[in-house]
Amino acid sequence: MLSGTASLADLLVGAATMPDLATAPEELGEVELLKVVTETRFAHRTAALPSGLHPTNPPTAILHVWKVESSPWGPFSLAETRVGCRSGTRPRGLVLGCVVDGPDAAVAALRARWGFPARPGRVTLRRTYDGVTATVAVEGAEVCAVHAVDPDPIDGSDLAWTTTLTLAHTPRGPRLVQVEVEHRVARAERVQARIDRFDGDAWGHPALVPAHVVSSAVTVGAAVLPSLRFVARPEELAFTGTEPADAPAAPHADPPAARPAAD
Amino acid sequence: MRFGIFFEMSVPRPFTPQAEAAVFHNALAQARLVDELGFDWVWAVEHHFLEEYSHCSAPEVVLAAVAAQTQRVRIGHGAVVCVPEINHPIRVAERAATLDIISNGRLEVGTARSSTWTELGGFNVDPDTTKKTWDEFVRVLPRMWTQEHVEWDGYCFSMPERSVLPKPLQQPHPPLWVTVTSPGTELDAADRGLGCLGVASTGYQEQERRTTEYYRRIEQCEPVGAVVTREVTTLNFLYCHEDPATAARRGMAMMGHFGLTNAHLLWTREAYPTRAYTSLSNIDPGGRSTGSRPDPHGVPESVCIGDPDRICEVLRRWESQGLSGINFLLNAGEVLSQQEVLDSLRLFATEVLPRFGEHSVTLGVAG
Repeated sequence: MLSGTASLADLLVGAATMPDLATAPEELGEVELLKVVTETRFAHRTAALPSGLHPTNPPTAILHVWKVESSPWGPFSLAETRVGCRSGTRPRGLVLGCVVDGPDAAVAALRARWGFPARPGRVTLRRTYDGVTATVAVEGAEVCAVHAVDPDPIDGSDLAWTTTLTLAHTPRGPRLVQVEVEHRVARAERVQARIDRFDGDAWGHPALVPAHVVSSAVTVGAAVLPSLRFVARPEELAFTGTEPADAPAAPHADPPAARPAAD
Repeated sequence: MRFGIFFEMSVPRPFTPQAEAAVFHNALAQARLVDELGFDWVWAVEHHFLEEYSHCSAPEVVLAAVAAQTQRVRIGHGAVVCVPEINHPIRVAERAATLDIISNGRLEVGTARSSTWTELGGFNVDPDTTKKTWDEFVRVLPRMWTQEHVEWDGYCFSMPERSVLPKPLQQPHPPLWVTVTSPGTELDAADRGLGCLGVASTGYQEQERRTTEYYRRIEQCEPVGAVVTREVTTLNFLYCHEDPATAARRGMAMMGHFGLTNAHLLWTREAYPTRAYTSLSNIDPGGRSTGSRPDPHGVPESVCIGDPDRICEVLRRWESQGLSGINFLLNAGEVLSQQEVLDSLRLFATEVLPRFGEHSVTLGVAG
């Protein structure tokens, strides 16, 4: 079966450093979220995953654009691109890129407490009666533009939310951090999205090319960024590489080359 | 209690023409053997694009070969994907009738609608529509088999009056089943008078609840065909070996490979929000993930991996839930050698099969 072939060092470029894994949950209010699921190219399906994760068939990328009005750090917007994958048999989305438009404290918290590779940029999410538009820019250059039309109400329970994985430097070494975001959806609409611009390089991997939009939806509600339950060694299969977040240091250490300088 | 085998045609990487061909020829040898051993069914799935997990995209061809190489085992077309972008209903009726003739009236026809985005997306199918198209297929197929001339004006297809040929050998028509993956489909089966071809096991207790409800509802069914198929089967793994530790080590390796390749598919609900697919629908032979306690060798209590006595115990539990049959996955990704699979089948046939009613065992040289 296929496993990721990305170099861990490459994946760790821009990775967050988490001083500990004892993250307290935070509630986010008045959240609007655009979710776009796309297929990506088979030729590159293992290229953006570490060897501990497996690609899906077909390979997918999932774009989430958040607009958060209420948080401990004030209002912020966030865009994340995730590669659909499996950790063992479990569905996961590995965050490759994350752009945050908001207070520095939000960027810092997302990096230090949940391991998001967050960096500042400009993120917009605008809903109108007949659709939604999202744009993301970094250092003045637009790296993503999505336009979606034809909102069609659905039940919030019809949406499946795949658990997020971030790759971060932790006190135990590089780890995949399992971020089980709780989405409290008050309203959901399926929409028809078109991706007008997507710069894979800017999102963390040149091979990340949305090839075919599978589905897209807009939700309104709240969300909880959780406390952490599990982390996993990125180059080990989930069956042996998964560790409780609150466990003492793992019995066997990472090879020195894989350790970040901060450790 | 009846027993069948269930072919997914799981092919290990790297894919080579030889490796792929070996899987198919091994399966045919297994079919010949179970025909001799007294098994009741040989089923072949229909899947598309499911790398490693299932390369069985043309089951009607596989089953034609099985029919030609066997004498008595029933031929399970399980299941035809009842989505017009994938199979036109007229072609399904024609192929099934022909297969029934070729097999001398041994055909069972399973119906399904596909659970993966991998397949539905590949054929550009709208997931919202598959339940409706499946329903239309199961209503029109019996008419095509039993009426001299048929016309149809439906939701997913229409046709002017024609004679759909040939007609099946079995009269009035072959038994009809539906593959049950999503919870509730067993009720759809019962309401229409269809057999319940279970592939997503739920563990003993939930199975008993569903089976009881199925048998209750089918008594008041409005049959879509001219025959009612009152059957509930489930899917399990089979690896039978005299030594429990060897059985567990080899059987669990096969089971683990199956679980991994199955999990790497993209389930419709994961990719596409729709009321039509309410669960992730991973198939779960033997209810291995339902939290059942493992035996001392680590085998989940409801899975048919072990020595003959253990497998008998497991089957007795399943039988007590009201099941009429169990179909077995024999291999995955060729983790087991063909010899291991054939030896497992022979041991099962000599030590287990006789304890479950009349099954004529004629150990021969097949395989």
